[in-house]
Amino acid sequence: MADTHPSATTLHCIVVTPEATELDTPADFVALPLYDGEVGIALGRAPLIGRLGYGELRVRYKDELIRYYVDGGFVQVANNVVSILTNRALLACVLEQDAAEEQLRTALARRAAGREELAIRDRLILQARGQLRVASRRQG
Amino acid sequence: MANPRVLDKRRRSIRNIRKITRTMELIATARFKKAMDRASAATAYTTRITQLVEDLMTSGMEFSHPLLEQRETVRNATLLVLTANRGLCGGFNGNVQRAGFQRWMELKQTIPTCRLEISGKRGIAAFKFRGITPDVAFTHFEDRPAFDEVDVIATRYLEEYITGHLDRLDLAYTKFHGIAKQQVVIETLLPLGTIGGDSTAPTSPAANQPQAEAGARRNIYEFLPSPESILEEVVPTSFKIKLFKCFLDSAVSEQIARMVAMKSATENAGDLIHRLSMQYNRARQSRITSELMDVIGGVEALS
Repeated sequence: MADTHPSATTLHCIVVTPEATELDTPADFVALPLYDGEVGIALGRAPLIGRLGYGELRVRYKDELIRYYVDGGFVQVANNVVSILTNRALLACVLEQDAAEEQLRTALARRAAGREELAIRDRLILQARGQLRVASRRQG
Repeated sequence: MANPRVLDKRRRSIRNIRKITRTMELIATARFKKAMDRASAATAYTTRITQLVEDLMTSGMEFSHPLLEQRETVRNATLLVLTANRGLCGGFNGNVQRAGFQRWMELKQTIPTCRLEISGKRGIAAFKFRGITPDVAFTHFEDRPAFDEVDVIATRYLEEYITGHLDRLDLAYTKFHGIAKQQVVIETLLPLGTIGGDSTAPTSPAANQPQAEAGARRNIYEFLPSPESILEEVVPTSFKIKLFKCFLDSAVSEQIARMVAMKSATENAGDLIHRLSMQYNRARQSRITSELMDVIGGVEALS
């Protein structure tokens, strides 16, 4: 379990999905996709609860950089522990660009009537675009 | 006296059956351990989301969400029954089917439009035998239900509930309390009674740690964008994770039930083999004795 003492010397990043704890690692810096843009979290960050968007999670520890695609969810930062609750967390290297492009095409072509259906379509588009963004950075 | 050859044949066939049941027991044990690990992983998620909800509540906001509100008139109800695809697991399927059937009859009497959804071939067959065809049937959930698969069903329920096509969702399944106790329960998942997971779920000491720490010192949080907006997302997520946990509980309970059933079948086969061996030995001995008596009688007649 993470050291939650406020005077800890490093951050601790935990990524939990309903199926498994994907990541439980110390970190120097964590960059997260919030619902409206990215947020960076360093040591000593004030407590925060936020809604995640669809995009890239970067965890930097010493010289190592871990990159994940996170599929919405929540983040809670308290006592130098960053807890990320998400439905899906995929390592950037396993993302399939073709599948994301296909999802984007299908979502854009999808007919939507009513608020709920529009919200579903928007979510699918945001997911696909988020995946494409992460996949393109991998190649770039 | 029984024929020793027949007895031996029976004994050999029971030995073969014992081999099969023992193998099934071992397979069920391995699967149970994997299913148990998955259930523990889901508990970690529910514990953290419960923690998040508790911290949200400390912000002093009023809780109100369409999924939490009881509806005055219930016109549409759905009953989902979680059974297994395979048998040889003792009373696991029978118990859920009985409870599900009873609730189905109650719902039919009180609510105008009812839909029945069944997961598992055994449940589908049992309800068909009673003359009830399910509206939706799932057979793709094995011992490793994936969140993505459950998410599809949960999203559909949420859409139906929000658009007014569903007023109540009941779920009949076997709840996993521990290795020694599994219980058939019927829970109403929609409207949601509470958010943030199941308070009665078994949690590991490690999983309890964040709660204990949070209890020791409360943080003042910054909410991005706002507590209301986060709650709007937390409630559907909480429902999805609750439904997923039910599928996981059912999978773990099925493996435990199969493990126990196969263990007792193996033991019974052993007892049967022991009894048959005694009968066989007696039959063989009496045949030898009678042959000896024949030989002795023949010798006496000649002398």
